Amino acid sequence: MADAFRAVINAVAVAAIPLLFIVFLGWGFVRRVKVYEVFVEGAKEGFTTAIRIIPYLVAMLAAIGIFRASGALELLTAALAPVTSLIGMPPETLPMALMRPLSGSGSLGIMTELMKVNGPDSLIGVMASTMYGSSETTFYVLAVYFGAVGVKNTRHAVPVGLIADVAGMLAAVWIVNLLFS
Amino acid sequence: MLNTIWMSLIAIGILVAAGNDVADEVRNTYRNGIPLNAVIEVRTTPSALRQTWEGDLVMAAADFGAFYGIAPPPEAIRQPVSIATFPDGRSSAVMPIGESTPSFWKQMAKSASTGNRLSASITAIRFAEDGTSASVQLLVEPIRFVKMKAVTAAALEYAATAVTIALGLIGVMALWLGVMKVAEEAGLLGVLTRLLAPVTRRLFPDVPPDHPAVGAMIMNIAANMLGLSNAATPMGLKAMEELNKLNPKVGTATNAMVTFLAINTGGLILIPATAIAVRAAAGSANPGMIIGTSIIGAGCATAAGIIASRLLQRLPRYRKAMEAANG
Repeated sequence: MADAFRAVINAVAVAAIPLLFIVFLGWGFVRRVKVYEVFVEGAKEGFTTAIRIIPYLVAMLAAIGIFRASGALELLTAALAPVTSLIGMPPETLPMALMRPLSGSGSLGIMTELMKVNGPDSLIGVMASTMYGSSETTFYVLAVYFGAVGVKNTRHAVPVGLIADVAGMLAAVWIVNLLFS
Repeated sequence: MLNTIWMSLIAIGILVAAGNDVADEVRNTYRNGIPLNAVIEVRTTPSALRQTWEGDLVMAAADFGAFYGIAPPPEAIRQPVSIATFPDGRSSAVMPIGESTPSFWKQMAKSASTGNRLSASITAIRFAEDGTSASVQLLVEPIRFVKMKAVTAAALEYAATAVTIALGLIGVMALWLGVMKVAEEAGLLGVLTRLLAPVTRRLFPDVPPDHPAVGAMIMNIAANMLGLSNAATPMGLKAMEELNKLNPKVGTATNAMVTFLAINTGGLILIPATAIAVRAAAGSANPGMIIGTSIIGAGCATAAGIIASRLLQRLPRYRKAMEAANG
């Protein structure tokens, strides 16, 4: 069942981009859109958008870099571990949950390390990989998406993103404990 | 909120780094000024003519662990070392960092005076009768401010990474924005948005259901679910630009933008390909086992994000930020 689902999704994912190209551009061509000219016109914006993101991304990543390098995560883990153990979260997976919203490469490193030490099919291994798949790198997404349109006052976006992250991590702990322990 | 979090990340980072460095100094974590006893197996014979010679510093793992007060490394220490003797009789050792270097020394070398090696002065040396080995007493160079140096390096390195990421986006951005523009001119996104209007009208009540932003948001969410992050980001940024055209106060996030970001940060993905690949590489019997649990986890995150965005947008402080714009 899961294998069939995976095979279907993988097939869709492989075919999706070529299919989008042919459908979008082909449809435009049939509708007598000057496809080449319009494509170039649209593509021009790619450069300015990417450049506009830079200051936002520099601000965000530099702060995250400082936080990561300082060893503050280890301190935070030690402080929170007694609390999170109460809800059935192994303390080893806590750095994963804390790192996930901050850094994609950082949480990938933690996940890989946890699997190497505990085995990928152990409770910790399954929980870490579920956590990795249960959320996006919130602060990166915020910086890139708001940076692209020059939004500096993000209003409730940060609390919303963090609530989503906490919900994702708690759900991961709950479902993995329910199915695998 | 972002101002506070941003400042906290930096302030906590620097304070914790300083605290860790003070703690290292008090505990003398790196054993500054304490001589280390080891044996050097001679590789090139020292002679009166040659001022430098080479060898391997060997030490039992347990002795190494006991000296630094850490868990002993998995294997006995065998570290290449080159020794220089000065005219006044003093000797010094240089240990280049390589694969066989114990990880604790690798860590120390990052804060050493020269990046990829540790230097030490030799306080005592006594050769064995046959000259093949020498027992030495080493004084490794003092290691200080490890975390402070790491914080500085990280700030610079991540700033450079940010630019690399942004520049790397240019190509895919241009490609997808071009394709999206053609689809827009052909009226194709209109078909898509009409189809999903019942859903999008509820999720984004402030956005007219036939607005181009809706088409871009649908494409972004679909691409994200399929794990096509290369396509998802340009489409998401296109959606943000379209949403910004409806923004009464440019520079401030609208309700629709926050809801859209909540869906994106929830990261609902049908096949978490990265996690599966890591599991397979780590030798899992069933790497795909986490598909179901990840969908549930990300589904909860997305739902919580959408609900939170709809509730928090009503709070006076967030409403005021928007209304001040209209006035």
